[in-house]
Order: sequence, then structure tokens, then C-alpha cells
Amino acid sequence: MANIAAQRIKREFKEVIKSEEVAKCAIKLELVDDNYTELRGEIAGPPDTAYEGGNFLLEIKVPETYPFNPPKVRFMTRIWHPNISSVTGAICLDILKDQWAAAMTLRTVLLSLQALLSAAEPDDPQDAVVARQYKENLEMFKLTARHWTNVYAGGPNVNPECDEKIKRLIDMGIEEHQARVALSSYNWDLERATEQLFS
Amino acid sequence: MATSQGNDSDMDCSDNEDCYDDYNDYYNDDNSDGEQLDMSKTDPEYFDYKCLSEEEVERLLNETVESLSNRLFISPSLAKVLLHSHEWNSNEVICKYKENPQQTLIAAKIDPPTPSKSIIVTSTYLSCPVCITTLNIDKFIKLNCTHMFCKDCWTTHFEVQIAQGISTAISCMAKDCVVLAPEDFVLKHLQHKTSIREKYQHFTFRDYVKSHPELRFCPGPNCSVIICSREIKAKRVVCDKCNTGFCFKCGCDYHAPTDCQVIKKWLTKCADDSETANYISAHTKDCPKCHICIEKNGGCNHMQCSNCKHDFCWMCLGDWKSHGSEYYECSRYRENPNIAHESAHAQAREALKKYLHYYERWENHSKSLKLEEQTLEKLRTRINKKVMSGLGTWIDWQYLFTAANLLAKCRYTLQYTYPFAYYMDTGPRKELFEYQQAQLEAEIENLSWKVERAETTDRGDLENQMDIAEKRRTTLLKDFLDV
Ligand SMILES: [Zn+2]
Ligand SMILES: [Zn+2]
Ligand SMILES: [Zn+2]
Ligand SMILES: [Zn+2]
Ligand SMILES: [Zn+2]
Ligand SMILES: [Zn+2]
Repeated sequence: MANIAAQRIKREFKEVIKSEEVAKCAIKLELVDDNYTELRGEIAGPPDTAYEGGNFLLEIKVPETYPFNPPKVRFMTRIWHPNISSVTGAICLDILKDQWAAAMTLRTVLLSLQALLSAAEPDDPQDAVVARQYKENLEMFKLTARHWTNVYAGGPNVNPECDEKIKRLIDMGIEEHQARVALSSYNWDLERATEQLFS
Repeated sequence: MATSQGNDSDMDCSDNEDCYDDYNDYYNDDNSDGEQLDMSKTDPEYFDYKCLSEEEVERLLNETVESLSNRLFISPSLAKVLLHSHEWNSNEVICKYKENPQQTLIAAKIDPPTPSKSIIVTSTYLSCPVCITTLNIDKFIKLNCTHMFCKDCWTTHFEVQIAQGISTAISCMAKDCVVLAPEDFVLKHLQHKTSIREKYQHFTFRDYVKSHPELRFCPGPNCSVIICSREIKAKRVVCDKCNTGFCFKCGCDYHAPTDCQVIKKWLTKCADDSETANYISAHTKDCPKCHICIEKNGGCNHMQCSNCKHDFCWMCLGDWKSHGSEYYECSRYRENPNIAHESAHAQAREALKKYLHYYERWENHSKSLKLEEQTLEKLRTRINKKVMSGLGTWIDWQYLFTAANLLAKCRYTLQYTYPFAYYMDTGPRKELFEYQQAQLEAEIENLSWKVERAETTDRGDLENQMDIAEKRRTTLLKDFLDV
């Protein structure tokens, strides 16, 4: 079985390298070790979304039973998205679970993840806090996602107001990422975020 | 009731008798119809069911499969898929299949949604999309879709899926293809793998029973009994092997007179509010008269202070004398009639008060049940001593155990009247219910008092009390058990 996994990954790696998406810089794939059990993926934030301009790194682990079981994929770049954990980067996507088919490839996975960034599914959330914001206050969600893309994924959209509020919390002795999470979770309400952090 | 097998144009989907032929053997062997009718009239909890072994159920399912496969001229394996996707309703399958076989096969995921174009294979070699090996075409096989994979990959696919507990839901390996692999296809690829085959068959059987509305696995630990009933009602079934009792409809603890949805709502509420209600779990309260601390160590809620001999009610701390009368109102919650005009805060407080009233009684009876179980154990020991020292035989004392068992049965029902009352709308029906509930409660506490003092109570007196309590219970269920 492990033999099939290595053969497949070798082939899929070549397939991705040659693909038109790589030519357009939309996806990337790199080997991490020589035995094809771990790879590094990268997807570009889709245009006209809050993730536009950002690059998101993915950790891809290939199980011994691949391709009969799906690869294990996780976001290494922090991201604000209803179906991706803002804490661990774990992904809730059907093809990475029970909807996986052995004939699918890593290219399918990367393109599906890119599609997930364009069309979130808040009713099947991985991150409950983000999903609630998405459903209750879409504008606030977009603002937060854009800010995270700027800070963690190299996106172009700086939001001075967010940065200012984070700085206020840092001045009170809060660590930067913790401050960002608190503010993001409370719709950038400085008072409520402070209350939560010091309670 | 008889359906003419030959005349298919007269087939009527609503006529479900046809597929029950197999069951009749299981039902008619020891009960005559007249007897059954009688029982269901006098006993509101009467329920006709059978405890079957896995082998018996397997035989039952196989008979259904075989008769469908003969009827429609399809393979048993295909018949299984069709039955499984139609909750084992043969008649529905037959109707649908006769009306539109194509659509039926698509809906059951045997055929792909769009008819597969027949691909003309020109070369004798193909590359398998899963293992990317190039092989002779005769090494390839497909389901009813167009997706060809090599036989080794099918085998591995099945092994991996079965190892994860998946059986009836194993599908094609192609992207976005929903076509299912039927049993014969799977088994063909596991020819020399005995243990995996057995696992697969075990899992498919489990799936079949779960999809069959008339079958329930006994929830008892390590019990393999399957309970079977033609009627799907929220009634009590008791496993004849491990003695576990449960509600046939929802599979949870039996909950009459409350129905399945309401008890679910109630249990969820209790779990959510467990912290608020935690203080109730106290085992000690102060005597309302002399204020000495009293520990509750029996199930009876009629307490007698060990110090001042004051008789009081454990639930409401009221004088027990008032509980014996017509005015027994300990179980009823009196709502504030002006609550609609109060502030939101006051309404929330009232809502909590109301919930706690019912929760407290629900929880208290549950605890009493456990304590009475201990009482029964102690009773067993005492009677054992009596018998050993020649004071009568076990048969002489049997009535005491009968009384204790009846007490448990009554208190169990009483416990489940509280969620029922909690969700009831105020009105004359609720008033009637709470009246009957109060009556039942009073008689149960009387019975409990007498059972705890069983050896000194007159036998006739005890049996009289048993009769009264059980009558009250049956009356309440007859009036309010809505199944
Ligand atoms: Zn293959
Ligand atoms: Zn297919
Ligand atoms: Zn059992
Ligand atoms: Zn039920
Ligand atoms: Zn006292
Ligand atoms: Zn009382």
C-alpha cells in the first residue's frame, strides 16, 4: 500500500508542477521529505474575496493508505474563516473526510481549498466564533478576515483602526496575537475585548 | 388483507400487509388475536413485541430479500440495496420499481444519475487512475458507472473502508461519483480474506437492522438481542435476555406518559441547566419543627423526624397530615397569575422557579428509586435470615418482593410525569393531570412507607395499598398516554 502512496504522490507532484494553476501562481506544491510522506502546499487568496493578495501555506501529510484515505491537510498560515480553525488551522471540508474519493489528487485538494476561501459554509463550521460573526455581521467578518490576511498572509490591505486597537491592548501587557483574537471575537469592541481578557 | 400476488395493476402502496407475511410466523405462535385485543384495552402499556436472536433476524431479513428478488427478478444483492434504501418496505420498492425501474435504481445509487455513455475501449491496456499502473484490460472492473479501476485497487478500497466501519455506504472511487458497491461486488473482491468478509457482513447486518423501523438492537451492555415489533410506538419493551427495558420508538429509557420528543427536550434542558440545579442534590434537610438535621436514607418522601417524631414531606417540608387528604398539592406548581405584566427579569426568575419545581421532583423520585433498590436489598438479607431460622419459606415472603417491584414501577412512572407536566399548557387538562399525579404520588408514598416497614405491616393492608397505587398509575396512563 505504501508503495502505491509514493507512486501516486510522485506522479501528482509532477502533475501540479506542470499545471496551468502553477503557471498563474494560484497554487504551489513542495516536497518536505524524500519519501513523499509530507508536502508543503500554498494557495493564493482568490480575487474579490477578503483573502485576495494573501498567500496561505498548507501542511500536507500523506497517510500510508493514500489514496484510499485522504491526505491530512492543515493551514499553517493563520486565517479567519468559518470552516478553518483560527487556533489550529484544522479544516472542515467534506472531501478531506467522508467525501474523499481515491481518484482525487492533491491538485483537487488545493483547488477545493481555494474554492472554500471563495465560498464559506457557515452552517458546517470548524470555528464557531468565526461562523457566528459570518452569519450575524458579514461586514465585520470581511473586515476581520482582510486584517488577518494582511497581518499573517502578506495581504495588501492595512487597517490602521485595527492596528491601533491592538496596540492599545499591547500597551496593557497583552500579547499581540491574543489581543487580535479577543478583538476579532468581539467585533473589534475594545471594551468587551478588554473585559474578556482581564476577567 | 390478502393481496393477490398475480395482479400487479391492482398494487396499492398503502397496503402494507404483503411484506408482513414473514412476521406473522413470529407473532402468531403464542398469542391469539382475541387475547391481544383484550390486553391492549385493559393495559395502556400493553405492547406486542418479540425478542429475537441475530440468527432469527438474519433469517427474517433474508426471507424478505429472497421474496423481493423473486418478485422483481433481480439479484438478492440488488434487492438488499433497494430494501435498505427504502426502510425495508417491500411494497414501496415493488411499487416504485414497477412504475419506473430506472429512476428507482438511480435513487438507490445503483445506477449513476446520468446514463453512462458506453466507452469504446480501443487499446488492450489501461492505466488505473488510483494506482497509476498500466495493466491489461481484463484486470479492470467497474460498477454501473463508467469508472474503471484495477481489481487490486477495489480490494484495497474495500479493506480500508471496512476497517473504518463502513459497509453499505461504500461507493465508487471516482471523484463525485455516488454509485454504491452492492454486497456481491464487495464480497467478490474479498474472496480469500475471511476476517474482513466477516467484518463486512457484521457491519452490513448492523446497518440493515438500524434502517429497519421494526427492529431495535437491545441497548443493554454486550447484549445481542434484537427487539422486533410491527407497531412503532413509544411503548416499553424489556429484553428477555438481559432485562434491559427501553422505549421501542426512540430507544432511550422508557418515559411514559411523556412522549419521545418531550423527554428529549427535557433531558437536554436538565443537562444544560445542571449547574443551576446542583444544590438540589443535598441528602440532608432540617426538620421543619425542631430543626435537627435529617438524612434521607430511604426512598419514601414521608419523613418522620427521629428527634421530635414530626411527620413531614421531604419535597416541600410541609406537614405530612395535609398530604394524605384531597388537598395534596405538593406536586403541583402554582404559577404567578400576573406574570405577564412583570418585568423580563421577574419572568426569567419565575421561569427558573418553575423549572426547578419540576426538576426537583423529577430528580427526587429518581433518587428515591435508587434508595428503594437498597431497601429491597436489605429486605432480601433480612428475609434470608428469617427463612434460615425457620420463620416461613421464601414463598411465604414473596409478596414483599412483589410489593417492592410494584413500588419501583409506580415510582418510575411518577418520575416521568414531571417532564410531562412541565411542558403541558395550563388549562383544565393540566389540572386534571396534576390532580391524578397528586393522587398517584400520595398512594406511592403510602406504599413506600408500608414497604419500608413491611415485616410489621399487615399483609392484607399492604396488598390493598399495592392495588390502589397500581390502579392510580393505570388510570393516569389510560387518560394521558397518547400512543
Ligand atoms: Zn489500481
Ligand atoms: Zn463511478
Ligand atoms: Zn438485552
Ligand atoms: Zn421514546
Ligand atoms: Zn424534628
Ligand atoms: Zn410535599
